[in-house]
Amino acid sequence: MTATVQIALTEKTRARRRNLLDFAAWSSDEVAALFGTADVMAQVLTRTIKKVPALQGFTVGTLFFEDSTRTRLSFERAARAQSADVISFAAGGSSLSKGESLKDTLRTIDQMQADLYVVRHPTAGVPYQLTRWTDAAIVNAGDGRRAHPTQALLDAYTFRNRFEGFDGFAGKRLVIVGDVLHSRVARSNVELWRKLGGEVVLCGPPPLLPPELAPGVRHSHRLADAVEGAHAVMALRLQRERMASGLLPSVAEYVARYQLTARALRSAADGALVMHPGPINRDVEIAGDVADGPRSVIETQVASGVPIRMAVLYTLLVGKR
Amino acid sequence: MSGPRPGARRAGRWAVVGAHLVDGDGDHGVGDVLIESGEIRAVGEGVGAAAQTSIDAGGALLTPAFLDLHAHLREPGQEVKEDLASGLAAAAAGGFGTVVSMANTTPTVDEPGLVGELVEKARRLPGARLRPGAALSHGLRGETLTDFAALQAAGAVMITDDGMPVADGRLMRSACEYAAELGLIVQTHSEDPSLRGDGVMHEGAVSQELGLPGNPDAAEAVMVFRDCEVARLTGARVHIAHVTSRRAMEVIEHFKALGAPVTCEVTPHHLTLTDAALRGFDPVFKVAPPLRSDADVAYLREALRRGTVDSIGTDHAPHTRAEKDRDLTSAPFGLPNIEVAFPVLYTRLVASGELGLDGMLRLLQDGPAAVMGWPRPRLQAGAPADLVLLDLETERTVDPTRFASKAKFSPWAGEPLRGWPMLTVVGGDVVFRLEDAAA
Repeated sequence: MTATVQIALTEKTRARRRNLLDFAAWSSDEVAALFGTADVMAQVLTRTIKKVPALQGFTVGTLFFEDSTRTRLSFERAARAQSADVISFAAGGSSLSKGESLKDTLRTIDQMQADLYVVRHPTAGVPYQLTRWTDAAIVNAGDGRRAHPTQALLDAYTFRNRFEGFDGFAGKRLVIVGDVLHSRVARSNVELWRKLGGEVVLCGPPPLLPPELAPGVRHSHRLADAVEGAHAVMALRLQRERMASGLLPSVAEYVARYQLTARALRSAADGALVMHPGPINRDVEIAGDVADGPRSVIETQVASGVPIRMAVLYTLLVGKR
Repeated sequence: MSGPRPGARRAGRWAVVGAHLVDGDGDHGVGDVLIESGEIRAVGEGVGAAAQTSIDAGGALLTPAFLDLHAHLREPGQEVKEDLASGLAAAAAGGFGTVVSMANTTPTVDEPGLVGELVEKARRLPGARLRPGAALSHGLRGETLTDFAALQAAGAVMITDDGMPVADGRLMRSACEYAAELGLIVQTHSEDPSLRGDGVMHEGAVSQELGLPGNPDAAEAVMVFRDCEVARLTGARVHIAHVTSRRAMEVIEHFKALGAPVTCEVTPHHLTLTDAALRGFDPVFKVAPPLRSDADVAYLREALRRGTVDSIGTDHAPHTRAEKDRDLTSAPFGLPNIEVAFPVLYTRLVASGELGLDGMLRLLQDGPAAVMGWPRPRLQAGAPADLVLLDLETERTVDPTRFASKAKFSPWAGEPLRGWPMLTVVGGDVVFRLEDAAA
């Protein structure tokens, strides 16, 4: 009896799991199913007792090599609402700067036997690299400029729920405005929106919207042209460093040409939604009255984060392939 | 099997017999090479009969050992990556008889004493001959010139800040003025630092797809243009290291047509790999300048065929596995390749029919010799016995765990290649034998 128990405990119990690194390995049907699961999770979150035992016995590790309290909290809430245990590791690059390799860092943390890691890193590709060194599932919570798939999921989910008379993504145009070059949110939204059958237009100043970015997607450097006929317009956060590094002349110049204003939105389609991945620079990339206006779904995006991330964790850990 | 052991000093006369003899003068058919006191004594059919011991080549190709004008051997100070012993042994395993080492070590090789120490130490080591390169500026900082005359007197054969572009045009000009007067070669790592920015790979569709900061071909072309202009202005012999892009190669072609004293090098990896290799997010493929597009690789190969390229340099740049297990921002630039350089080039370019064997050998023998102003290596009596025996038939899989280099990883790991060196001889001593390495 004792011997049997020991064998059970030493056996490797983690099978190789599915990852969410980007959407390359995901079909539109699978994404639709994920949205269905998120609907169930959203229901759970309206109850008095906002917790289900779906992930009891599973451990979710959050590995944040770059600060992001909001995203980390959203994932941790999503894990705990399903009764998963959560372990958190905030590196901020400190141990790596002492000469420890990424592999060594992961190997050490992996001794805690988490079933899934939520990874945020300032360099593109890190979540992908980590899959080589662990059997646990990896969820990309943002890697450099490359991808932020749960943000794109919650953006599309928000659009699906809030666009009046929604009848699918086909023919729906998403316009993304701003610092596209440095934006993982933009890259993931382009990938997902097109996978779901929608159309994307990218808009921004030339240094922040290089021609090689997102082949096959229309680029525009003029806001008024880009927004015409849009069903959703998403403004991206503008970092102040862009001026210091010589990519842009000034905030004033950017505001004059690319700020999302009520006037700029006039040519958008009826019922067009205004989105922003947050946190917003009020009156820089988006006018305050537009952010707070009737078309804005910015707060809904944040609220959608928890059910979407619950659905992702659930699908990767216990969902059927 | 009888015959000298690796690195063993060999007294008396010995011979490689029954080899297919090829050098820059052409194909000499099957014959022997008789070796004594570090030199070739005789070449031809039956000359091996005068030897006390011999190695039977079994008809394999015997040719002068290769010259590599560009390798990072990491000594002094970075012995965790490579040292002279492992680096020169790795070079020998790759068929190279002479290696020019780069100066970006810790400390930088910017003082005559450091050059002298390298020369002395290497003299006692089995493996390829070391001809050290020395820094152009103190600490590779690009601020103040090193003492070229003293460095040359200590044994430096090349002046280079390789690893770091010389950003200051005035400093580059002064360096070339001194080098011209002393007859030294200036090798340049030509990339404009501000255009390169924080790029970790070639800027293009793939870098945008992967969300990795890009380094545009313009960064290389702009600096190659400046360096060629400075060569023209000063008359210094400037060797452009690791040319990677079509634009940079076109600039070099322009200056060569004008008669400017410019030569250039390409590397095995820039001839055979593209930016698409980064799709796996493996920092092994992070090199500087970066792996370019398909179109650039095609153009570099065209330049090889046209004869624009003077030499193939390996830019062998070993690092520890742990350094390459970092993220793509913090992992260092460079990959180890000196042991597989010829098999990679032979399999991909010669066996595939893109370039003749004679053309490839020229880029590893007469080409680099001409760049440096050294005698052309030949299979003839009186020449140094620096030889490599090549097996062009047997396919062997790249197994980095068997590398003599400390960097036991490779972009070509697991790939079947042909053209493996079986025997390398330097100064009459056997410094590498495949059967020993495989044992």
